[in-house]
Amino acid sequence: MRGPRLEFAVGAFLLLALASLLVLAIASTNNKWGFGGDSYPLKARFSTIGQLRVAAPVKIGGVVVGQVSDIGLDPQKFDSIVTLAIDSRYKDLPADTSAGIFTSGLLGESYIGLTPGGDVETLKAGDEIALTQSAVDLMQLVGKYMFAGGGDKTAPASASTSATPTEEIP
Amino acid sequence: MPFVAATRSLGAAGLFALSVLRASKPTRDFFAELTREIYKIGARSLPIVAAGGAFVGLSVTLLGYRALETYGATGQVSALLGLGLYRELGPVLTALLFVGRAGSSIAAELGLMRATDQITALGLMAIDPVAKTVAPRFWAAVICVPLLTGFFISMAIAAGYFEAVHVIGIDSGTFWQTMKDSVDFRDDFLVAFIKAAIFGAVSALVAAYVGFHAEPTIEGTSVATTRAVVNASLLVLMFNFVLSALLFRS
Repeated sequence: MRGPRLEFAVGAFLLLALASLLVLAIASTNNKWGFGGDSYPLKARFSTIGQLRVAAPVKIGGVVVGQVSDIGLDPQKFDSIVTLAIDSRYKDLPADTSAGIFTSGLLGESYIGLTPGGDVETLKAGDEIALTQSAVDLMQLVGKYMFAGGGDKTAPASASTSATPTEEIP
Repeated sequence: MPFVAATRSLGAAGLFALSVLRASKPTRDFFAELTREIYKIGARSLPIVAAGGAFVGLSVTLLGYRALETYGATGQVSALLGLGLYRELGPVLTALLFVGRAGSSIAAELGLMRATDQITALGLMAIDPVAKTVAPRFWAAVICVPLLTGFFISMAIAAGYFEAVHVIGIDSGTFWQTMKDSVDFRDDFLVAFIKAAIFGAVSALVAAYVGFHAEPTIEGTSVATTRAVVNASLLVLMFNFVLSALLFRS
């Protein structure tokens, strides 16, 4: 096999291969072709960030609007400073927008949820979000709940059941 | 002195790789040879890679379903399938299939050329034997292995889709959306093809080196073929670990 037929076979192979790459890229990846992309930074201070990691999503009402680009620690106040890269399409966030660290599901990944307020002033690039809510450590909550009532018998665990039977037991 | 000998053979292989790069000049003859090699080692490897990919997709889906069932997270099976294929299985298994199918033939061809004095004859005619015989095969492998990896992964995902949606009964929308959410274009997709290109280069270089320097006997050719497959497979697996450690940070 030589000459034109060979070239046709190779051309068909290359075309088919490139087409399958294109289909794969569109159908099975998150389609983030951009290198860097258009985004602007916002800062937020949290006392504890829990399991939040760089590249975690930033969501408003469940819709992803950006990602965590950097996590650092303030050397004076020992707060963690989280830098968010927000998509430039959403550049008119009100100045009283609040940020919180939430977990999707019981064991899911951490993400930052933004709740826009009603201020007419908007957040500029590099501004700090003033209202923040730190991550809730589930294990710490469970621990508190379990051991808080260790001293006396009216443990919080029994408070969830109705009050009358606990009084009848002693 | 096994250490000195090992270092020397490593150095010889490195010099051989340099000479291949130096001998790669875009002449008309080079492109004619390149086309023929892409047909021989690329297009002709398509069926085995496609069939291999389909079976790998089926078994990974079954395995993932079994493991995720414990946590009631069977909808995540396509995330496992996509990430596993792009990050490790696609490039590595394609490269191993390629080594078995094309690496052995490269080594055997070059070994026979050596045994029948064709390589010496090329040198006598003032034609650089590396440029004529090795360079086209090397570049054909660098081009073909990423493309074959693409075929492998698409067949595996198609087969996994069939298994997950039509046999197990996972929702089709969940399948695609979970996969799209977990596979990043840059960190997973592009890295898979960078890895594949490196594996292609490594396997072609090993096969060509072993074949080019084979003993000029019938037995030498068979030894070279065996060595090419064993060494290239091992090197692909080793390089895979190194590349995974370097390229995947999260």
